[in-house]
Amino acid sequence: MLLTYDRMGGLKVVLWVIAVAVCIFLLVPIIFIIALSFGSSKWLAFPPPAWTLRWYQDLATDPRWLTAAFTSLKIGLLVTICSVLLGVTASLAVIRGRFPGRQFLRGLFLTPMVLPVVVFAVATYLLFLRVGLGGTLIGFVIAHTVLAFPFAFITISTSLESFDKSIEDAAVLCGAPPIVAFLKITVPSIRLGLLSAALFSFLISWDEVVVAIFMASPELQTLPVLIWAALRQELSPTIAAASSILVLITLVLMMIIAALRRRLAE
Amino acid sequence: MSQPFLLIQDLRKLFGEVAAVDGVSLQVRKGEFLSFLGPSGSGKSTTLYAVAGLYNPTSGDVMLDGRSILGTPPHRRNIGMVFQRYTLFPHLKVAENIAFPLRVRGWTTTDIARRVEEMLALVRLEGYGSRMPAQLSGGQQQRVALGRALAYDPPVLLMDEPLSALDKKLRDEIQVEIRRIHQTTGVTILYVTHDQEEALRLSDRIAVFNHGRIEQVGTGRELYANPATRFVAGFVGDSNFLMVSSVIAGPGGRAAVTLPDGSAFQDIPFHASSRETTTGGAELMVRPQAVRFSPGAQAGLPVKIKDLTFLGDTVSALLTTQWGQEFWLRMPAQEVGSHAAGQDARVTWNADGCHLFQT
Repeated sequence: MLLTYDRMGGLKVVLWVIAVAVCIFLLVPIIFIIALSFGSSKWLAFPPPAWTLRWYQDLATDPRWLTAAFTSLKIGLLVTICSVLLGVTASLAVIRGRFPGRQFLRGLFLTPMVLPVVVFAVATYLLFLRVGLGGTLIGFVIAHTVLAFPFAFITISTSLESFDKSIEDAAVLCGAPPIVAFLKITVPSIRLGLLSAALFSFLISWDEVVVAIFMASPELQTLPVLIWAALRQELSPTIAAASSILVLITLVLMMIIAALRRRLAE
Repeated sequence: MSQPFLLIQDLRKLFGEVAAVDGVSLQVRKGEFLSFLGPSGSGKSTTLYAVAGLYNPTSGDVMLDGRSILGTPPHRRNIGMVFQRYTLFPHLKVAENIAFPLRVRGWTTTDIARRVEEMLALVRLEGYGSRMPAQLSGGQQQRVALGRALAYDPPVLLMDEPLSALDKKLRDEIQVEIRRIHQTTGVTILYVTHDQEEALRLSDRIAVFNHGRIEQVGTGRELYANPATRFVAGFVGDSNFLMVSSVIAGPGGRAAVTLPDGSAFQDIPFHASSRETTTGGAELMVRPQAVRFSPGAQAGLPVKIKDLTFLGDTVSALLTTQWGQEFWLRMPAQEVGSHAAGQDARVTWNADGCHLFQT
């Protein structure tokens, strides 16, 4: 352990500067946009001349924003369900299954994480146009499920791996049919993993914009897509308000995930 | 013997090309405590899992009370099982764990509550019903698992090395509990272990497993006194196998034996598995307890005492023969006399406590 903090001497200052700079870079845009969403200036003047909730009122009364938020929510929830179900079945296959190619499958399941999103978006767009899924809810859910699935798979397979199969066997020998044993014993035992997979899946769909832009149609727009589209037309504080809400929900979900991880680690 | 309660018939289980169980047959009486004893990978657990239904055997049959149970899925076999690892349902309280098999069977709430109390009393954990499994020690968890497995009065209880994760002192304690529970409930128990002491202490009979087969079934005393094979002789109880350079077969299944240093021993009984001929290699099995220092300086096998350990009532000594083979002696402490480590000595043994194995 040569490189410990205590031995760094003058380098400590440099470390502190870098750390503070990183924090500022990460936080300032968020704080800035939240501040602007409460500012009274229509032209996004900073610092705001006065404070107001007007832009949030606008949001709440504008059907476009409400529809987009509802669409985001609907797609996010559908993606969550699909991705967790797929995550459970895929994890069962890879962790419990005994067939050649399991490791290959494990790697394959993670490819959506490493594939450039824009490549995936273009490819999916072209494919969906051809099969008539472009601009449809089903297409949207499928595309986002592909993106969310690797995260659900990792979380669920990790908790399934650390769950002793003998416990499920014990339940079966106690007289529970295998499916009952799985649902009543295994599922509750890995519930933290399942919940965290669900939250992750929802978040990935909730703030995803690249694929969403390709999948969206005038009738079907998610919140990030609408923010992006609105930005191109006009720079209004309403966008700042919408962004703030997006950030807030993401933040809350991330905090729940962090709390779950702490309980998982115990 | 009348119809056996549990019958395992020529059971075979292949994993790919490898036979984990290779033709196991066994008859178990009702209420019997029978241990499967053997080294790891000898097929004892696989046999148990086949009875449980967690593995399907490749061929053979398992019959309970005269009927094959192989067609019955594990959850309908009504068999109790305690596993090597802790298998309490982690999200359920102790009482809910014991209640689980009863709930599945559709018992009424009052019946379940009564039975759970009975089981907690049986495994001596009254008052622990509302604890979570994680709050219990390993020994307590295995006792709850035992209570859960017995709650529905299974005809057979399977135990797969349930104490191997516990330390020695706790193991001894729970062995006593298991014996008591076997006596109170009268349940038929199949018990897998690789610990011969545990098998000897608990069981009515022991089946010794090796390479997917049963080498011998019998009481601990029978296995010790009359091992059917060289493997059983080596596995049950301590034993020395001395090299033999020549064998001259005599009458009555006995032989004169010469050891590599020229020492000759008369009247050594052939083991039943031997061909009783003069040709071929052989080994002389002698229990450490049968070996004694010879009183005279001339008779017996000359050895060097490498190490001598005082163990209270007994003394254990590691000896080296003149051809460099090590073997053990164990004798009452007061008979050791002036012998000490580093000295030369001569040892002898009672010919009836030996077996001559031919290879």
